[in-house]
Amino acid sequence: MALYRYTRPVDGTIPVQALLYNDEELLASQEGVGVYNGLQKSPAHQSGTVHVTTHRLFYIDRKRTRNSFALDLGYVTQTEYYAGLFKSSPKVTLHLASSATSSTSNPSSSFNPSTSSTWECDVCAYRNPPGLSPAAARICGLCGVPRGSVPSSSSASSTPPSAPSPLSAATITMHHDPEEGIPCPACTFLNHPSLRTCEICGGSLPRPARRRQHSTAASKSAPSSRPGSLYNSDLDADDDEDGEEDGEEEGGGRGEGGEVGMIKISFRKGGDKPFYNVLKRSLKGKGWEIKGYTSRTQTGNSSEPERNTIGRSGISGILRTVETSAQGRESNMKDALSDLEALMVKAGDMVRLAAELNERLTAMSSSAAGTVSSAYSAPGRTGLPEPEEATFIRSSLSQLGLQMTNAPVTLDMMKDERKWYEGLARELAGVLQGSNDGRGKEAAGMMKHRGIIALDEVWGGWNRARGVALIPPQTFLLTLPLLPAHTSPPINQRTFASGLSVLHTPPYTAAAFASRLSGLITLSGPMTTMGISEEERLTVALAGEMVAAVETDGGVCRDDAGCFITGGGVGFGGGEVRWWLNVFSGYVWDGQE
Amino acid sequence: MALSTHTTTTGFLLPSIHSAPPFFTQQPNPTTQSIASEQWIRLILSYARHRRLFTLRVEDAETAGNDWDEVLRNERINRRVLPSYLSAIIASMAAKNVAAYEPPKQNRSALLYWRLPEEWAEVLHEWAISTGQLNTILTFYDITDPPIESPLTNIPLPLLRKAITILAKTNRAQLIGVADGEGVRFFAGSK
Repeated sequence: MALYRYTRPVDGTIPVQALLYNDEELLASQEGVGVYNGLQKSPAHQSGTVHVTTHRLFYIDRKRTRNSFALDLGYVTQTEYYAGLFKSSPKVTLHLASSATSSTSNPSSSFNPSTSSTWECDVCAYRNPPGLSPAAARICGLCGVPRGSVPSSSSASSTPPSAPSPLSAATITMHHDPEEGIPCPACTFLNHPSLRTCEICGGSLPRPARRRQHSTAASKSAPSSRPGSLYNSDLDADDDEDGEEDGEEEGGGRGEGGEVGMIKISFRKGGDKPFYNVLKRSLKGKGWEIKGYTSRTQTGNSSEPERNTIGRSGISGILRTVETSAQGRESNMKDALSDLEALMVKAGDMVRLAAELNERLTAMSSSAAGTVSSAYSAPGRTGLPEPEEATFIRSSLSQLGLQMTNAPVTLDMMKDERKWYEGLARELAGVLQGSNDGRGKEAAGMMKHRGIIALDEVWGGWNRARGVALIPPQTFLLTLPLLPAHTSPPINQRTFASGLSVLHTPPYTAAAFASRLSGLITLSGPMTTMGISEEERLTVALAGEMVAAVETDGGVCRDDAGCFITGGGVGFGGGEVRWWLNVFSGYVWDGQE
Repeated sequence: MALSTHTTTTGFLLPSIHSAPPFFTQQPNPTTQSIASEQWIRLILSYARHRRLFTLRVEDAETAGNDWDEVLRNERINRRVLPSYLSAIIASMAAKNVAAYEPPKQNRSALLYWRLPEEWAEVLHEWAISTGQLNTILTFYDITDPPIESPLTNIPLPLLRKAITILAKTNRAQLIGVADGEGVRFFAGSK
């Protein structure tokens, strides 16, 4: 079945990070998942952690780490998301490309380098490091020429992984004991089995024939990647050793070898949505394609992989990438524009319909009015009520924003408007004072810590809170008079002499502020506007406006620093006005007569 | 904030409000300003009476070192009256008829009426009676600079002329042109 055809076992005992290719990146993980093989639960994979990387999807079983596997994202053709219902967990379905197995038909035709060892480029002699993803490992990291494109007589003997036979062993990693390495005949250093020369002394290492078979399989670390197209032979090897456990499932898998496979991941412990998003992004990013080869292009034109690879590297490769991305962008744009055009056509229809309706209504009401007014002349046409349906239709039209110019504003519509303003006022009250109802304290409200706030800020904040269907300033101003009825303590509007309008709570009425200000001055002496603004936690401009209002009422008087004899002033900023209590009111002459 | 009166070196008792810095600033609020200028007028007139000053110029506020320093400046609180404010005060004094622009048709300098011209007329007439100079012709110089100091010493001529004009209306004085200027003759006063 799909699970066994597409996936490849990995060693679940080592952390996922260590299983990654060098150019692979772990994007997200989610524990508590189960895997469905096709439509059935896969009993061996019911409790584990799933990781998504730029290249692959890993499943690491929690208990039986042997059941862990990796799935190349390149096989995934389509994903589905199921949100879950009652006891059924959310699931993500991965549809896998049916062509994935086609490349296995002629494994010898395509070149399958093992990524677990270094190899030397035939062209530039660059020693490519192990650990790259299969796609990236196919081409030389330095010159971009695909590996093996130049037939080399020495490749068979010099590069062990070039032989197809060890590849079958590459997947059996977990059943092997870690290789102790190859002792150097010169210095006896135990070298990594994949090395051909001694790391210490540089002498060439012996390659025992028996060892060679498993030299690549021995590396348990990251690069234990899958030579994708040879999977069937891998499976065989796996089955041979692991047959007693997975025997019956594998048998089923053989049965439906040819059809399109799918795998479901069931999220028992949630986390499905973010994971699905990451998965989608990873699929979109096509990280496994970036370096050149993809499993799909390979299967598409497996006969000429070399040409493809060459085209993908170097300057021509860059040019082609740019071209492709430009094409993609263009097609996306075209799609979007065609959508928009369709919408516009529909909107035109809507407007036409509205106009027709409105005309018909006007004609009907005028004819009705004509007949009625001929019957009794005194009240005139103004008193005639329109049919209820007509007003309803018109008000609905106006609510849709399709109001015709010749459509009168009916009482019905007015009623709706009033209701609308009421609703707006209620909403604004929520924005200003916070909505405590329902789910606890989610919004603090703009005026939670401030008693006074300028209108422009309120308008901006409100519209930001709305996000859509923004309120025009006119509507905003019409809403304000209704605000005190919906707020507690009531929030009132106040306009200063300069024309600045604010919303304020009771502590900021003129009288309350004046008394507080006089108390403040009595307590701490004459103050500048700046000091008052600090004390009151207002902006300087706003404090200035409020003090000016108090001055107009005669509550305070000014002491201008311009009247200083020396300098701009002593101790405080020059040119500034300090506010005093009104020393003149109630003053009785106590000087010389 | 505790304002107190202050006695100047010339022995003038300044009102406590003179120690309040806002007193030296022109207040935008008309109600407040009317109270302030009322106090200013009272202060200026009483100081003028104390120092026998007859004129007040806007220039007095511009530079220090004149007769008005003690009133127009307060060194203790580092405040002074700005010329623009003084000009406004003088304007309001002229409007209240406690001062008159002198010379007329300008607004930089004013004659202070810490006694109204009618009061000056009475003072002048009483002085003439008390010094026994009825029915004799006196020059203006004889009045403004008499051998014995009088309340009229140094009285500005425009003010003196106004007072004489008022007396002439009630037939208690007569303005006479003499060879080297003007003269006046006082009468016993008959209604």
